[in-house]
Amino acid sequence: MTASEIKNEQELKQEQTTNPRGTLPWFLITPNLLLIGLFMLGPLLLLARISLEGYQSGQGIIETWQLSNYSKFLFDPFYRQVLVGTLVLGAEVTALCLVLGYPLAYSLSRARGLKRAVLYFCILMPLLTSTVVRTFGWMILLANNGFINKTLMSLRLIESPVRLMYNVTGVIVALVEVLLPFMVLALDTALLNIDLSLYEAARNLGARGPRIFLRITLPLSLPGVVSGCVLVFTGALSAFVTPTLIAGARLKVMSTVIYQQAMALLDWPFGAAIAFVMLVTIAVLLVASLQLSERLRNA
Amino acid sequence: MIRILLRCINLLLLLYLMAPIIVVVATSFGSSAYPLFPPNDLTLAWFRKFWENPELREALRLSATLSATSTFLATIIGTLSSLAIVRYRVPGKSFFSVILLSPILFPAIVLALALLVAFQRVGLTQSFKGLVAAHTLLITPFVIRLVMASLEDFDPSLEEAAQNLGAGWWRTFTRITLPLIRPGILAGAVFAFIMSFDELVVTLMLAGPELQTLPIRIFNYVQYSSDPTISAISTCLIAVWLVIGIPVYAKFLSVRHS
Repeated sequence: MTASEIKNEQELKQEQTTNPRGTLPWFLITPNLLLIGLFMLGPLLLLARISLEGYQSGQGIIETWQLSNYSKFLFDPFYRQVLVGTLVLGAEVTALCLVLGYPLAYSLSRARGLKRAVLYFCILMPLLTSTVVRTFGWMILLANNGFINKTLMSLRLIESPVRLMYNVTGVIVALVEVLLPFMVLALDTALLNIDLSLYEAARNLGARGPRIFLRITLPLSLPGVVSGCVLVFTGALSAFVTPTLIAGARLKVMSTVIYQQAMALLDWPFGAAIAFVMLVTIAVLLVASLQLSERLRNA
Repeated sequence: MIRILLRCINLLLLLYLMAPIIVVVATSFGSSAYPLFPPNDLTLAWFRKFWENPELREALRLSATLSATSTFLATIIGTLSSLAIVRYRVPGKSFFSVILLSPILFPAIVLALALLVAFQRVGLTQSFKGLVAAHTLLITPFVIRLVMASLEDFDPSLEEAAQNLGAGWWRTFTRITLPLIRPGILAGAVFAFIMSFDELVVTLMLAGPELQTLPIRIFNYVQYSSDPTISAISTCLIAVWLVIGIPVYAKFLSVRHS
């Protein structure tokens, strides 16, 4: 009997003994379906409808069917710059997280016992601290008279303070730190999945360090690279707290524009349209990455 | 040679990861009037200031009440769904588990706007009820993940044995199933509580001036002023989450990765 047959038999057995008592499972799952339907799917449908409505300042929302909110966001030069800027920021943050996360994940996947526990703790700890708190820490560090500028000046590496707050540089420094743990954990999973006997075989055949890395470690960790990049890119694309606190009004990204439209300008239809552009971007990315990892698995 | 280089790089990376946390904790003990790193002199005054500030205490009370209420609801709803999916084999199992876990897939800002628009129509904005509904939606997936994992872990023949010995399904559930999945439920509840307590974006858009949770207060304070009291609050949060969160978080990740 193969493993899958055994598993099927177990499942069958389980099905017979704890047989679905007709309506009982439906009864148990109903509260959750109501929760999702009333507070997620319903509101999202409403948001989709509103994204097609009009808005006139002074008059408020006008009930029509139109695509002008979408065309405004995609074709108006100012808003197109927001879209492009957000995507570029996401790409930069993702690339940096990958470059910085790989060595850390490599060491984490190789460490055992206490060393792994300590490393794991240092990577989990930031995840458990709220983004607001960590960004606050970066605000203290990045200020004009903050620790980073003071240190660089006392080392005489710079003459006057470098501007790190209220611009995109500071946002990247902080956002990479906020999202790095996700990348490291995704890569760690992939690296741990590599069969150790492959390394032994390569070494027996005379391959050395760099060659083993390029021919075995790197290609086999690609599924982790894909999932880590998706996680980080999605996180960077929808980040709200870090851009708001570090850059303030100086940097407009999609989520801060959505917030501004919704809370200050009360142009909900336009905010809704930006929200759906964000959802579609993420959906496209997810589908592409799923296909990519499928192809990697087959290769 | 490469190994030493790798070790140095990793040390720097860990320092980078921990930097903001170290700074926040250090400045909460500093004696200067603004968050200064490294601190000149040590004091506990900012912790007292936090405790004596009525606005912040009210925010803490609100956050605790909101998170406790949402966690209570999410734990019941999530546990029931996990039972339906894993134990009682609801038809369309994988479809339902995707649907029920989906709230964590959506960007918070999108859900926030959707809820704002919907709540405006039914008068739930700026209400405690509305916040509870939103938080329950956002944290139930975490409960489901952890409870599903502990349900999948245990041997169904235990339930079988109980039923063969004549126990009805209710007795089997309360005597066998529930005690065995209790650690999973507890871990799910703790994790959900932390997630709810730290939630900012959705709460910010729905809360209004009367319902300022602790994360909203922190967010507003650091935007417009620089005060080590915020470091003191943050240090307290870091300490509490560290104690109750690390074991649960490690468990959550092992679930996600398996």
